[in-house]
Amino acid sequence: MKNYIKVATILFLICACASLLLAVINNITAPQIAANIQINTEKALSAVSSGFTIGEKREGDGGNINYVISLTDGSAKLAGYILELKGAGYGGAFTLVASYDKAGVLLDAKMMGNSETPGLGKKSEEAWYMQMFKGKGDATPLPLKKSDLSSEQASAVSGASVTFGAVSRALNLGSTYVNALGGK
Amino acid sequence: MSHKYELTKGIFKENPVFIIMLGMCPTLGVTTQVSNAIGMGGSVLFVLLCSNIMISLLRKVIPDSIRIPAYIVIIASFVTIVEMVLHAFVPSVFDALGVYLPLIVVNCIILGRAEAFANKNTVLDSALDAIGMGIGFTLSLILIASIREVFGAGQITLFAMGNFSGVIKIPVLNGYPIRIMTLAPGALLLMGFLKAFFEFNTARKAKKEAKV
Repeated sequence: MKNYIKVATILFLICACASLLLAVINNITAPQIAANIQINTEKALSAVSSGFTIGEKREGDGGNINYVISLTDGSAKLAGYILELKGAGYGGAFTLVASYDKAGVLLDAKMMGNSETPGLGKKSEEAWYMQMFKGKGDATPLPLKKSDLSSEQASAVSGASVTFGAVSRALNLGSTYVNALGGK
Repeated sequence: MSHKYELTKGIFKENPVFIIMLGMCPTLGVTTQVSNAIGMGGSVLFVLLCSNIMISLLRKVIPDSIRIPAYIVIIASFVTIVEMVLHAFVPSVFDALGVYLPLIVVNCIILGRAEAFANKNTVLDSALDAIGMGIGFTLSLILIASIREVFGAGQITLFAMGNFSGVIKIPVLNGYPIRIMTLAPGALLLMGFLKAFFEFNTARKAKKEAKV
């Protein structure tokens, strides 16, 4: 019994010291991490806004759409929306921001937080990746399978089909949602 | 064994990747780009150094029956520190390493060196062992990543600095990359060739020593 208490105390002390050290490091890094996330989000929203004015943020559908932001043109008329979408890729959950016109045609998109495989699914962060989906939606369906892509595009996403499928499903969900809003 | 031996053995003689064959998961996973290899190698070196020193310091305090959970707590703490620091101050490397960063906790090299070396040796020797093994691991990753990226993508990706974009394009290969080299089969194929080369080299050296 005495031995068990001794062993438990040693393990407890190691865990307590580790927790203390992590708390100190977290205290130092947390503000910087929050600032990085804020800067990245602002950059991403600006990058996908396609030159329109970014409006107020409002709640999404409570499911895979985190929030919706209206885009307005120079005469303050509604031009489209930016959505933050959630998806599940090969490495787990990811978020991306995508802008659509009022009919649900994709204007631009950018991959945000993700744990996709470096060199494979991580390619979804690169600018060329979203070119496969740009200008599609509404009358021209977004590509959902690799067979919907050109041979060059299909070769570029080879080895990362799960990520491609997840990104296209997320973008398709956003397109359908925006289309259903009917410009409201 | 001399301090010099403890420091240098991990680079060639007991190279963790090509000789001991430890840490294969991150080795095959992150070596698609040279920058990832440098980031992963640096992170493993830091965690290995800190955990080896800490485990060596506590080797007479940690009872044998709880050594594995104690080592895991120590290693996981240092990995979490690396994660937080990279996330805060080098977010590009944090993003690039993705899921492989938290997986350092279960990297066989770190637990392997803790179990096989740090809990039996002095702090200085454990630190030298960690530095040697960490450098050996980093150099191995850089070697594999350089070959894979040059042939598979026709470029070398480093870190962007000032006007330098971080990408060095290789003429000819950039236009005609051998895509399989950046995929999993290319990694396994290259690993096989490099392992064969290291085995050949080790056997040749052993033969030479036997003759002497």
